[in-house]
Amino acid sequence: MTKFIVQARIVLIAAAALAGAAPALADDVANNSARIGLYSIFYHVSSEYGLQGPYVPPGTNIDAKNVETLYLAYVRTIVPHFDLELTLGIPPLQKTVGRGPATLGSVPYDGQVIATARWLAPTLLAEYVFFSDDAKFRPYLGLGVNYTDFYDRDSTAQGNAASGGPTKLSLTSSVGVAGTVGLTYRIAGNWKAYASYSASQVKTRLDADTAGVTRTARINFGPQALVLAVGYSF
Amino acid sequence: MFKLLKFLGVAMAAAALCSCGSSSQTSAVATSTARGTLAQNPPFRIASLNAADLQANLSSATTGAQLLQITGNPACGVDFYHVEFWTLGGAGETTESSGALMVPTGAAPACSGPRPVVLYAHGTNTYKALNLADVTVASNTEGILIAAMFAAQGYIVVAPNYAGYDISTLGYHPFLNAQQQSGEMIDILTAARAALPNTLSSATSDSGKLFVTGYSEGGHVAMATQRALEASGAAVTGAAPMSGPYALEAFGDAIFLGDVDLGSTEFSPLLTTSYQKAYGNIYSAPSDVYSATYSNGIETLLPSDTAIDAIFAAGLLPETAEFDSTTPVVSIAGNAALSAELTALLSVPGSANYPLPPTAQTPLFALGFGSPYLINNSYRVTYALDAVSNPDGAVPTPSAGVPLAATVPSQTLRQAFYKNDLRNGGWAPNSPTLLCGGDADPTVFFSVNTETMAAFWSSLVQAGLITVLDVNGTPAGPFAAVQTEFQANQAATLAYYQTPAGGGLSLAAAEQAIVEGYHASVLPFCAVAARAFFSQL
Repeated sequence: MTKFIVQARIVLIAAAALAGAAPALADDVANNSARIGLYSIFYHVSSEYGLQGPYVPPGTNIDAKNVETLYLAYVRTIVPHFDLELTLGIPPLQKTVGRGPATLGSVPYDGQVIATARWLAPTLLAEYVFFSDDAKFRPYLGLGVNYTDFYDRDSTAQGNAASGGPTKLSLTSSVGVAGTVGLTYRIAGNWKAYASYSASQVKTRLDADTAGVTRTARINFGPQALVLAVGYSF
Repeated sequence: MFKLLKFLGVAMAAAALCSCGSSSQTSAVATSTARGTLAQNPPFRIASLNAADLQANLSSATTGAQLLQITGNPACGVDFYHVEFWTLGGAGETTESSGALMVPTGAAPACSGPRPVVLYAHGTNTYKALNLADVTVASNTEGILIAAMFAAQGYIVVAPNYAGYDISTLGYHPFLNAQQQSGEMIDILTAARAALPNTLSSATSDSGKLFVTGYSEGGHVAMATQRALEASGAAVTGAAPMSGPYALEAFGDAIFLGDVDLGSTEFSPLLTTSYQKAYGNIYSAPSDVYSATYSNGIETLLPSDTAIDAIFAAGLLPETAEFDSTTPVVSIAGNAALSAELTALLSVPGSANYPLPPTAQTPLFALGFGSPYLINNSYRVTYALDAVSNPDGAVPTPSAGVPLAATVPSQTLRQAFYKNDLRNGGWAPNSPTLLCGGDADPTVFFSVNTETMAAFWSSLVQAGLITVLDVNGTPAGPFAAVQTEFQANQAATLAYYQTPAGGGLSLAAAEQAIVEGYHASVLPFCAVAARAFFSQL
């Protein structure tokens, strides 16, 4: 719980810092907007060589379960039609499942939740917004960068059983390209609704240490996200 | 652009601040290197198999299916742990070693809760990467055998790989060093007992019953361990040393006097290196013992990552030629009679000069002579001179009564054998002991070792404490079924070798193959006898 509060505060600090980052632009036009909504993430995990290391049969792999969390974003209009968006999801509990053999020895593997982790994945997008500022619908396209950091990594009891004992996990953080397409709908006044689809490149190297025995995997999570959100401009 | 960078910088900083979360723990690495310390706690589990999967895995290979016919089908699952622990080498040096902890699992009452421990010592193995816990490797036949024989029937198995093998960085193996090997057995037992409650198999616990067994080299180790445990006051519930070179001085004398056992060219470098490291007085250079053909590099030859057949093929060791086929003409100044006696005794068994009557094994012993050969004649003469001057009670001619070891050997290798001869010190078991072997064993002689120990102990222990089982003997007594099965198996194997599937060998060639495989073929039958023996205690 404490950790959640700390993280929430950091998110707010980051948002506040962004708001203060361009005070010179503050004028009669509402340049800033804050958005909140549903962040639904679908993974397309690929790991070319799967899990590698001692006592790992060929074809042993891992997968990530799709996850939903709270979408938070701050958007600043730099010049008309050009926005910068910083997206943060409330770090969700991400479940990793085994893929491959039904069992390792007699230990169930395929489909078992073998690890959990939380991630923080700020994404910065430069967006081009079509149509004029007063249009009811405004589509947009964006391109940017995603940074993903994994923490609170835990091997589950099933994961420990499959690995051969208590297992320490480490996942390298990732920096990759992100892109988005979206649509803005002006509800009324300063309120707007948003829908977007985005994809990003998240590559990591997993190291699992079980009593000094190390297994590794190079994983491309290939996350895609659907966002439904409302925003307030100010 | 500046604003964008600042914007990004803030985002990164926010992310970095959040990467402070802890990750889960792996096992703890011990800071102490004191002997008996478990190095990784809990240990790594290599595999976990339930009874059905274990049976299916074993049945999928012919050898496994044959093994199951002897052991019976698994009653329990088995969890296989790789135990890393600290022990001492042959010269007292601190070293890490490893071994197996096999834990029976499953719902049946005989598979979890308090279970007895079998402390097992493996036989001579030239393969340095040997890891008894790794049942995923088919070549680990001895690990698979003890898993099926003991662990799958509800015994917790603890078995060291020995210093010098697997992860051990000791540059040699303290082969047949009673003090080192018994110490290492007790060290892995201590480490495994510390490990068990922390493993994934903690539903199984140590009942306090302790059985000690082992085969061949491990038979010697098991007996030495029983002696050490009893000396320390630890309770040994029962012991079953199998086919071991217990009466090492007598055995060494038999070999040097011409009864060259099968495998002697592998055992010799392991022995001399072990004793040179421990006692420092076997030679000033390996060429004192070994012929120029083989002496270079022989100290680090075994155990090896190279298969023994490849070592033979590369010309690094002779397959059977332990001694020079041109036997020495001994000349001792002022003692013509002794010179003549030794010259005759050191001639090739079965040759015209050889003084002893031929036996069934005489042709086998003759294979121990050739050229190129392993051991120099000059070295053989020094050994034989001591053997004749300070004779062992069992070899070459059994003395009347209790066959004692020589009390004052003077030759250094013979002193090492004497030191590690388990008659030395007058110890006899105070826990029930089964001595099992096969009387036609061409590798570790049954009469010289097993029967000598039994005779030595006969006056020291109460009647009934020691049971001697010759699986090749006339079936009788509590182990008649084991004897019958062993002999039927030998007959079936002999017939099989003569079929097209078995190689289509001639009768003589098939008999030769039986002799070559005899020592290994006794193991599962003695082990099943040991299990039956333990189950009564």
